[in-house]
Amino acid sequence: MSLFEQIEPLLLQVQKPARYIGGEMGSIMKEKSQLKARFAFCFPDRYDVGMSNLGMKILYSCINKRAEYWCERVFAPDTDFEALMRENGIPLYALESLESVRDFDFIGFTIGYEMCYTNILNMLDLAGVPIMQRDRGENIAPIVCAGGSCCCNPEPIADFFDLFFLGEGEELDLEVMDLYVKCKEQGMTRSAFLREAAKIEGVYVPSLYDVTYNEDGTVKAYTPKDGAPATVRKRIISDFDACEAPEEFVVPFSEIVHDRAVTEVLRGCIRGCRFCQAGFLYRPFRERTPETVCRQAKTLIDNTGYEELSLCSLSTSDHSQIEEMMDGLLTFTDDAHINLSLPSLRVDNFSSGLMNRLRRVRSSGLTFAPEAGTQRLRDVINKNVTEEELMRTCRIAFNAGQTSVKLYFMMGLPTETDDDIRGIIELAQRVVDMYYEMENRPKGRPVQISCSVATFVPKPFTPFEFHPQDTREMIAHKQKVLEEAVSGHKRIRASWHAPDMSILEAVLARGDRRLSAVILEAWKRGCIFDAWSEHFRFDLWEEAFAAAGLTPEFYANRDRSYDEVFPWDHIDFYVEKSFLIKENEKAKQAEVTPHCRAKCAVCGVTKITGKPCFDYSKNAKEKRDAAQ
Amino acid sequence: MIPVRATFEKRRRAKYISHLDLMRCMTRAFKRAAVPIWYTEGFNPHAYLMFPLALSLGCESGCECMDFRIDGDMTPEEAMQRLNAVLPADLQLTAIAAPVHKHTDIAFADYAVHLRAEAPVTAEQLREKWDAFMAQGQILIEKKTKRGTAMIDLKEQVQRCDAETTAEGVALSLRLPAGTSVNVNPSLLTDAFKAYLAEHAPGMKLCFPQTERLAILCADGSAFT
Repeated sequence: MSLFEQIEPLLLQVQKPARYIGGEMGSIMKEKSQLKARFAFCFPDRYDVGMSNLGMKILYSCINKRAEYWCERVFAPDTDFEALMRENGIPLYALESLESVRDFDFIGFTIGYEMCYTNILNMLDLAGVPIMQRDRGENIAPIVCAGGSCCCNPEPIADFFDLFFLGEGEELDLEVMDLYVKCKEQGMTRSAFLREAAKIEGVYVPSLYDVTYNEDGTVKAYTPKDGAPATVRKRIISDFDACEAPEEFVVPFSEIVHDRAVTEVLRGCIRGCRFCQAGFLYRPFRERTPETVCRQAKTLIDNTGYEELSLCSLSTSDHSQIEEMMDGLLTFTDDAHINLSLPSLRVDNFSSGLMNRLRRVRSSGLTFAPEAGTQRLRDVINKNVTEEELMRTCRIAFNAGQTSVKLYFMMGLPTETDDDIRGIIELAQRVVDMYYEMENRPKGRPVQISCSVATFVPKPFTPFEFHPQDTREMIAHKQKVLEEAVSGHKRIRASWHAPDMSILEAVLARGDRRLSAVILEAWKRGCIFDAWSEHFRFDLWEEAFAAAGLTPEFYANRDRSYDEVFPWDHIDFYVEKSFLIKENEKAKQAEVTPHCRAKCAVCGVTKITGKPCFDYSKNAKEKRDAAQ
Repeated sequence: MIPVRATFEKRRRAKYISHLDLMRCMTRAFKRAAVPIWYTEGFNPHAYLMFPLALSLGCESGCECMDFRIDGDMTPEEAMQRLNAVLPADLQLTAIAAPVHKHTDIAFADYAVHLRAEAPVTAEQLREKWDAFMAQGQILIEKKTKRGTAMIDLKEQVQRCDAETTAEGVALSLRLPAGTSVNVNPSLLTDAFKAYLAEHAPGMKLCFPQTERLAILCADGSAFT
């Protein structure tokens, strides 16, 4: 009996069965006899989350462009369907062929957040693949691999993977697949293939490194074996503007989180906010030209039938030709009933020209992220946004008829005091006051400022990687300060969450290889979908830590010295540790670093790329012009 | 502007597209195919698409209907061709023509249902139970309505029910009320049979019944077109 026939009777018993059967517009089917390798692209969360992921769409398109490779999609089944799968002996399968992923050549996970680690284990288990790498034997297939931002510190999940892809996968994934085909044809073993793969820049094979620890529990050394490199450098694609973006998406039947066409306008970020991991991981900053973006967006809209287009990047308004790009896009979106949306705008360069262009296409609320309530703390985290700029932006928004603004903040930032927490509400109140002082405010409508305050999680490859996270008690205290500060303010709402999830995130983000045992134990005790509050069980995680003889505090709350060997020190993401130390010292003095376009911060990237990220002669010319 | 009624198939994987999702899927298909569909002219213009009779999830069909208007220079035949090029293989248009009947003319639908039981129950044994089930004076079930639940007698509702024993089970040919006033899904009957088996033959377990809608009909028994 085919898997389709086995799955069918179960589908009407579960929520949203369309998630489990594939067959969507844009999904790619291939003839198996023509193939040299099959890649199961696994997203360790539910269909509606994973189908919104741009990275998956990019790599799905890259791999499937090659006639001899077939990349298929796999998502974590929701708990209702998982129970039926286990009951009826149905293995994890891919949505295109509806065949078990156990028989694929690659089982590759994209890992964008730490809280999905137990889902990975659960999916491997459902697939019938040994969870531990060492138990997989010498048969070359399946190779269990992963990529995505979390792989900048792959150590907590090192025991589960054959190899990691570090950095951008567009070219790297295919090189590894090509090597695999060659090795498979020569009848090579899994370990022989892995030794070969480790020679490719961007491939990290954790089993080729021995780890030793100091008595205090910190890492003593990583020792490479069998010719593996001492440090593994991430990969970037050779030419971002020339690298073709997907021309087609798989368009789902059921609703997903981000159900729209997405075009990536730039990669990297010039800002250097000290808390932001993405801002360092994705360097260097590269842009697509307005012509490329418009062409790709138009093709995508034509091929998907979407009525909404979103521009994607870490900071879209930092594109040097944003207004030209918007004008180009609006010429075809206006005619074709297409909504255009721009997440990731910054308050310091949000012009009224941009606002007017946005106004033509949407009227939903505006969201900005000052991140901290006081200028001092914003300087500490190098969020180069002044109160004046925030006020100016809000005024533009109010003038345009908006009456609600959402502000994002963090608590638990380095050097933070209770005054900084109270500063969040004081800042919001000044926005409210400014609204009521405006003569031409939208009449008869009250203003509403929502402040969403998240708990800060220190991440690897940021200047705050040395910094302890606030303890549970400190966070509880600060939340109380916030609660007292907001009471009585009618036009301001503040929201925050229990810190347990952020604590676990901090542990997993900066953990070492010993955490593999904890993650395995937590999953065995029933942890799954940890990012979903309805499933998250911190008590089970605590039990798992105890069983492994480890504590969350060691990883989350320890002050790390500059000379400590970090679990990710043998991983090279272009940014040098000495730069991160320098930035951390500047943070302590509340000293800001200008953004990369204004002045090169010498983070280490140009040493590898061999060229400056920007043409600074333009800056010099502008300066001369201004002086004259 | 040309009003048209397209007939389409919903098979295999496409069976699990819900009614709401089907609407979205088709709207996007029109965009992809660049078929000039008429947009409503209200505050929030949207593609005008009508499905005269919903199909329940998991039911196959070769006779689904979809109404729209072509607002531009394109023949219905070209529209159909273009749509089929961008629709999934399991969701394809089979005919397109000017609508003849009004939506309210829909009165019945014909279905084929294949019942099978888990081994070791034979087709003959299943047939025997089915005949006994249908020989009852009344088949009362609770049906969810807009105002809560109501008791209905399926026996009264079933217009026609022919059973034939096959190698694997029992093939049913059903005619049931359909449309806006009374609508009876074949799953109501198979669920009632399942409940009957649970009570009268606890050892017999029904497999997933394969169901297909064969025709949508007007009150006089002619095809809805």
